[in-house]
Amino acid sequence: MRTRNVDKVALVKRKAMEMAVSDGLEGFSVNKLAKACGISVATLYIYYRDKNDLITQIALEEGKRMGSIVLKDFNPELPFAEGLRMQWKNRAKHMMENPVTMLFFEQLRSSSYHETAITALTADFKEIMGKFVKNAVERGEINKMPVEVYWSIAFAPLYALIRFHNEGWNLAGKSFTVSEKILWQTFELVLKALKP
Amino acid sequence: MSESYKHILVFRSNIQTERDKCRVGIALDNHPLIEKWGVDLDDDERILRVVSYKLSQQHIMDIVSRCGYTCEELKD
Repeated sequence: MRTRNVDKVALVKRKAMEMAVSDGLEGFSVNKLAKACGISVATLYIYYRDKNDLITQIALEEGKRMGSIVLKDFNPELPFAEGLRMQWKNRAKHMMENPVTMLFFEQLRSSSYHETAITALTADFKEIMGKFVKNAVERGEINKMPVEVYWSIAFAPLYALIRFHNEGWNLAGKSFTVSEKILWQTFELVLKALKP
Repeated sequence: MSESYKHILVFRSNIQTERDKCRVGIALDNHPLIEKWGVDLDDDERILRVVSYKLSQQHIMDIVSRCGYTCEELKD
C-alpha cells in the first residue's frame, strides 16, 4: 500500500538539500534524488508533484523552521542591544547546526528559485524583525537607515564569521573555528557601528 | 503516522515538450474523473502524475495513447 512515511520524508528532504548543494539546482532531478535515497521514483512523486514543487516545499519548510529557531525567546520590544544579541545567538546556533540548509538557500538565491528563497521567510518573521528595528529607531537607540544598510551592518559580519567557521578556514586559507570570544567581540563592534 | 495515496498514479512517459504536454492536456483537463495532473519535464523519464479517485492505471494509459503518446506505470 502506498503510504507517506515521516522518516522517508525527512530522508528525502536531507538528501535533496545535499544534492542541490553538491550538484547545483539545474542538474537536480527527482529521479536522481530517488536513486540517492534508495526509494522508488513513484514514491517520490506521491509526495511531490514535480521538481519545482519539491524544491519549493523544502524551502518553505526550512524557512519556517529557521524562523522559529531565530525567534526563540525573542521579543521585538526588547532593548536594541539585548534583542540584537539574542538574534546573533539564535542565528549563530541555526547556521552552525544547519550548514547544509544555509548552502541550500545560497543555491536558491543564485538560481531561478530566487523568489522562492525570499518567500520562504514567513510574513510573521519579517513583521517581528521590522517592528524590532522600528522600536529601536523610535527610542533613539539607532538611527533611521535603509533596511539594506541595517542588515549589512547588523548581520552580514555574523554570516561571514559563521561561513568561515562552517568552511573551516578563513580568507587566507588558515584553519578557523569561531569562538565565543570572537563572536561577541565582533558583536560589540557591530553595536558600536549602529549607535547614533 | 501514514495515509493512503492510492489515488495518485505515476507513469514514465514520452511527453517531451510543452507542446506535447498541451496536446495531452486537452484530454486530461477535460476528463471529469481526473482531479489534477502534471508532467515533470525536468525529469529524464518525463513523469506523468495523475490524481484520480476513480480511474485505473490502464484508463490513463488509454487516454494518453489516444493523444498519440505512451506512458508506462511506475511501481513503488
